[in-house]
Amino acid sequence: MIFANPGSTVGYIPISRGASQCPALRSKSIAVAVRRGYDYIRMQGQQFRTRLQEELDTRSENNPRYSLRAFAAFLGTDHSTLSQILRGKRRAPAAQIRQWSKKLGLDSEEAAAYIAAEYVPDTATTERENQLRHWTAEAMAIVTEPAHWEIVRLSRTPHFQTDCRWIAQEIGVTVDQVNLAFNRLLRLRLMETGAEGAWIDLTNPPALTEKEFRRAALARVREKAAESRTKKRRIT
Amino acid sequence: MGNPVMQFQMISKKPDETARFYSELFGWTIDADNPMGYRRIDTGSREGIQGGIWPAPPQAPDFVQLFVAVGDVQASVQQAEGLGAKLLIPPTLLPEGDEMAVMHDPAGMSFAIWRRA
Repeated sequence: MIFANPGSTVGYIPISRGASQCPALRSKSIAVAVRRGYDYIRMQGQQFRTRLQEELDTRSENNPRYSLRAFAAFLGTDHSTLSQILRGKRRAPAAQIRQWSKKLGLDSEEAAAYIAAEYVPDTATTERENQLRHWTAEAMAIVTEPAHWEIVRLSRTPHFQTDCRWIAQEIGVTVDQVNLAFNRLLRLRLMETGAEGAWIDLTNPPALTEKEFRRAALARVREKAAESRTKKRRIT
Repeated sequence: MGNPVMQFQMISKKPDETARFYSELFGWTIDADNPMGYRRIDTGSREGIQGGIWPAPPQAPDFVQLFVAVGDVQASVQQAEGLGAKLLIPPTLLPEGDEMAVMHDPAGMSFAIWRRA
């Protein structure tokens, strides 16, 4: 039974997010087309420069004398700009993607997908944003939801019962609120369970006030966030 | 003994609505009369596994989690960490004597390691 993860939001970024930041996708028909047909481009993290490189490679295979300069001339840009885009040193602006897509024979829907892909954050950025959202939410919950403190306070009393229904009644919140708060206290290692399911308060000092509890809990959120960043670096 | 999947758990931001939906759809019985106030699902069949519903924090997505039975929760947690999993909820004894830990596998998917009392 029980205990969810701490609210990981890792996963899919809705197209609407990219679209809202991207002027080229404000057209309803294009946005719909992107959702319908070309989402895979964005999901695979494929960028327009990859498409350009593929085109250059194909042309070079067909004609070994075909050069970057020739490809730049075909696209109507200078070879230095094209080189930087191909190497990922600079991003192709939306207007250029649209213009070059036409020259490459791509239709407007596919061009719109490539434009959207340029505005979607990479995996590492998304992960950082998710982590930031998660730890901010943990901190805000500690600050705004008194159930955390109330559980800790009650657990120090002699009549404490490890029954979420009883706790909910004592502090005037729902059982779900108690469970969410208890879950958070476990995640933050502010509480643990002992023999026969006893709830053990891990906060210090023993004569803790609500203000001191909040301070300790927020410090723990910071520690856990830092720990999570360190682990991530170690894995990657 | 092996390590069977013992239970599924729906993590929902609207647990009451989720309970209502599935009980109306499949005729599942949902009972929260236990010390955790945990919504236990009885599918009404001996086939398959039983489940439960747990509230999701506001920032979390709704998802389904699997509970895998092990003989030693602490040892399985260490083994999972060695394989790249991340511990979220450390081994915890529940009021009715079960022990469980919640982890993220290396792909970020949440799962629970569980030892029944």
